[in-house]
Amino acid sequence: VPHQEAVTVRAPVRDGELAGLTDLLRRMRDQGDRNEWVDFPQLRGVHFARLFVLDEVRDLKGRPIPASLVYMADVDGRAVDHLRDLATCAGVDALFGACAGYPGSPTPAERAAWLAGHQLRPAARYVHTVGRALGQVHDEARLYVELEQMLDRPDLPRDGSAAGYRSWLADRVRGRSDLAWAGRPPDGVDLAFRVRETVHLVAVPAAALVLMPVLLPLAVVGVLVIRVKEGSDPEETGPVDLRHAEDVEEFEDWAAQNPFTAVGFVKPGIVRALAMRVALLGLDYANRHWYARDNLAGVRSIHFARWVPLDGGRRVIFASSYDGSQESYMNDFIDRLAWGLNLVFSNGVGYPRTRWLLFGGAKDETGFKRYLRRHQVPTVVWYSAYPRYPAPTVDQASRVRAGFLPGAGSSDPAGWLALL
Amino acid sequence: VTGPEPLELHDMQGLVVRGYGSLPYATFLLLHVVDGAAASSLVGRWADVVTSGALSPPPPGSAMNVALTAEGVDRLTAGRAPSGFSEQFVTGMASTYRSRLLGDVDDDAPRTWRWGGPGTEPVHVLVLLYAVTPAELSRGVASVTADAAAYGLKVVAQLDAAELQVNEPFGFHDGISQPLMAGLPKAGPGGDVVRAGEFVLGYRNEYGQRTERPLVPASSDPGRLLPPDADGSGAADVGRNGTYLVVRQLEQDVDGFWDWVGRASARPDGTVDQAARTRLAAKMVGRWPSGAPLVLTPEADDPAQASANDFRYHATDPAGLACPIGAHVRRANPRDALEPHPGSADSLAVNRKHRIIRRGRGYRTDTERGLYFMCLNGNLARQFEFIQHSWVNDPYFNLLDDATDPVCGVRHDGGTSFTAPGLPVRTRYQGLPQFVHVRGGAYFFLPGIGALRYLASRGLG
Repeated sequence: VPHQEAVTVRAPVRDGELAGLTDLLRRMRDQGDRNEWVDFPQLRGVHFARLFVLDEVRDLKGRPIPASLVYMADVDGRAVDHLRDLATCAGVDALFGACAGYPGSPTPAERAAWLAGHQLRPAARYVHTVGRALGQVHDEARLYVELEQMLDRPDLPRDGSAAGYRSWLADRVRGRSDLAWAGRPPDGVDLAFRVRETVHLVAVPAAALVLMPVLLPLAVVGVLVIRVKEGSDPEETGPVDLRHAEDVEEFEDWAAQNPFTAVGFVKPGIVRALAMRVALLGLDYANRHWYARDNLAGVRSIHFARWVPLDGGRRVIFASSYDGSQESYMNDFIDRLAWGLNLVFSNGVGYPRTRWLLFGGAKDETGFKRYLRRHQVPTVVWYSAYPRYPAPTVDQASRVRAGFLPGAGSSDPAGWLALL
Repeated sequence: VTGPEPLELHDMQGLVVRGYGSLPYATFLLLHVVDGAAASSLVGRWADVVTSGALSPPPPGSAMNVALTAEGVDRLTAGRAPSGFSEQFVTGMASTYRSRLLGDVDDDAPRTWRWGGPGTEPVHVLVLLYAVTPAELSRGVASVTADAAAYGLKVVAQLDAAELQVNEPFGFHDGISQPLMAGLPKAGPGGDVVRAGEFVLGYRNEYGQRTERPLVPASSDPGRLLPPDADGSGAADVGRNGTYLVVRQLEQDVDGFWDWVGRASARPDGTVDQAARTRLAAKMVGRWPSGAPLVLTPEADDPAQASANDFRYHATDPAGLACPIGAHVRRANPRDALEPHPGSADSLAVNRKHRIIRRGRGYRTDTERGLYFMCLNGNLARQFEFIQHSWVNDPYFNLLDDATDPVCGVRHDGGTSFTAPGLPVRTRYQGLPQFVHVRGGAYFFLPGIGALRYLASRGLG
């Protein structure tokens, strides 16, 4: 089984093409998942995907940054393989044809090469459960539904033991050729990935340790500089523009999950630029090695997330797919992830005031909710391969399946049966 | 650190502090402003007579409170509405996005509403009248209606509540669990006490902060009608002592509810089993008809525990064997049942950020029964809307599978199952119809009395 990668392609939109592109994205969205431009379910291993436009802005020094089109996907396997897959969709020409430098009438190979050439690397990522492929999500969800239906039978005896019910269900699953896979353990992620992650697990702290004599004084100076400056960094104030809020909300709450896409400038100066990089490095490390299985610091509602620097580090995009409403997502942020968010987002221009990078910030409920709303980008096209399944439900289906694996037979049948 | 902030009860409207339980008759008048200036002068006069939240003397034979929609604020202030009201209030309950969020779609969509939707005259002002006798109420209604007509206000709808009863129309004791606002004398240490800012603007909420609210320069309030911003900014606080009032007319399909429950719990030969029917309905509600909670008395109703409210879920019933995970009361107020760490103080702390004070009254006509659902909250998004969207109507609430609230949830997009956990195996019911439909609704601002006077004065200057 492959691991999951985050694909990001971004290209500037040519002058005069923006209106047509915006219109195209809306038509694409209206047609749904299987639209004529990109047939998302046909692409292999795509959990989530989105397309949106970043409007033209001026950076902190007043230099213009042209409008751009961004494509993102959370996929099984390598990003390059996904782009090769995507390049078989002829509709890609209509989308990226609006972008500067897109080749005329490209072959699929040329398309793939152009897309690959416009990739952005995430500085940090989060995957709800590393190594759980799309096929496994769908299979386990189906198993879960089938088992629930077996227990719905009106003639089901009501006097058996939990172990008895479990073996009854296990017999039926074994007898079904379309469910027999449940008794075999899912393949783990491939060896090359595991080796790479193990090296990363050790190498990052090792490098930090070796460089400690240099890094520590720098870090102390950096933190003190930030401590002095954060008291006067300008905060954004006032309510969110209603029109902007409505533009974002138009694309929210259509499914059990939602997309979140936000962009902002990094505060000026080398210290903030470095602080952002270090914070994202630390976040990525924590996500890969501590939070690679069913929760991010206790928050179970995030499927995928990524933090992508762009415009040479002047800006960062945060994009995620999460369960429930934006309000509940932000409440989780404030109640449970405030420190981690502060560490990263407080390097962003306009963020609510922090103290020592970690404190305050997201704890300012009104200021923080407004900040995030203000920086959100309408996610015009968003695809979910399992829009009805919140992440904890996907996990629940995996726990149900685990009950059929070799060796699971004797442990807590009552607890297992209560999952159904 | 310090005790709760002292409450300026004399400047709050009475509904914030009490449900007027001693005044069993009520009518709610929904008004449309035709002539802004005239209406402002009347609302200004009403500000002198509305019932305050002061604890003494107790309310006499009648009570009156006044609330405004965002459009109403705009009309009464001649387009000079202060900014800083929440987005939810300003865009209103019937906006396209909010309808999707609240589940008000298809046959619950605002276009079908009897009031508050796009097909009826916009509601600007709500006058809530309560009285100890029907005659007293009639006098109040007649007087307000006559004044309204004389001062450029038109009645869009008159909502007459039924005489106050313990049971709601499905037959269950209602309104037992109410959060206690910190600072009120009843709110002792411990118990279900929630910081005042969750229910009244201008006070500290459960985050220790003051929820967003309109602040205006002190210079715009030369008459000093408004209290100052308690954060000391020097601004005058239009929000302080006021709050948001949610009103939704909910039609309850009483026959449909009991028919379905009767069929789902029938004997094998198809005849209704009265005891089983009551038991299944109680499983769906989470309390017995008397109000006794299932977690405390899972096997049979116990009227002695009719008002019992000092219980939690996780400690006694983590799997929902007594009170199902999906039961109405366990969804609308999960207490200690949710992440993080169910059963912990952290879980309770999160729960305290999603509470509302309920002030609804039942109604009954020849053809229909239901509830004028009303609740008070300082943050519509985090309190009322969150409960409605993420607890009541989320089909995957707390690991349920395709189950909205069995009693009041919507079924527009599935959500039609209900599971009663059991040993060794659960019972899952399917094909639940929708028993409750929304027939009208709006978000109101229930201002502090000084702020009501201030807003009305803006339309005159």
